Amino acid sequence: MTLTRAWATLIALSILSTAVAALGLEGRWLALIVLPLAWAKAQIILNRYLGLSQAPDIARGFAISLGLFMLVLIALAVIGTH
Amino acid sequence: MTDNAQTTTEPPFWENLPGDLMMWVMIVSELLIFGAGLAVFLFLRLMDPAGFAEAQTYLHRTGAGIGTVVLVTSGWLAAVAAHSTDRIWRCRALLAGATLLGAVFMGIKGQEWADLFAQGISFETHVFFTFSFMLTGFHAAHVIAGMLLLAFVAIRPNPRSVEVGAAFWHMVDLVWILVFPVVYLL
Repeated sequence: MTLTRAWATLIALSILSTAVAALGLEGRWLALIVLPLAWAKAQIILNRYLGLSQAPDIARGFAISLGLFMLVLIALAVIGTH
Repeated sequence: MTDNAQTTTEPPFWENLPGDLMMWVMIVSELLIFGAGLAVFLFLRLMDPAGFAEAQTYLHRTGAGIGTVVLVTSGWLAAVAAHSTDRIWRCRALLAGATLLGAVFMGIKGQEWADLFAQGISFETHVFFTFSFMLTGFHAAHVIAGMLLLAFVAIRPNPRSVEVGAAFWHMVDLVWILVFPVVYLL
């Protein structure tokens, strides 16, 4: 993925997150959409902008840690919705 | 005695890290701090979901969305700058663009805070605001530090300094990518 394609993907995912919320989606469904989108964006920044794609073993460690953290956030967000 | 076995020592894993090791130590430290803050924020939300939902309506959600696009674009300029150090004026222009967009992000953030303060909202209004001001304020401090770093690096850019400056800026970007949905959208 080129830097420009990474940027375009980040922009598209950011607009999608804001649009989903602006269109009125709420509660657990909103959490189940916007947090995985944030997760995907974070992976792009780590791998492409910060260059972790050049170090696959370290990238895997970051991906697992970030994945576990995002699962905690998603769980808290889903439980906390009414 | 024949000794055909060659002594091979594997390099420590951090030697495979792209960029400066100390910058990675800082990036991981910052991610842990913000990560803890976001987890506590969502945990506190469990106690008062209605209060958090109402408090969130005072924030500028669209402005924060625009700010996200601005910051992501700024990160892209910094990333391209790190690959353009052989063309010094192009590199400077890209770093200046990244810094300028950082200032635009701060302008959007400042407008939101001014509006909140004008409505009498402060740290003490609700625990939502305590944490949202803390998370976004701490992030804003990093944006300002990143802008200063990028501007400083642009004076005399070289591959290492631009890489370090861009890495810091990407960390600022990464933190916002996580703060934005948790504080503004959920």
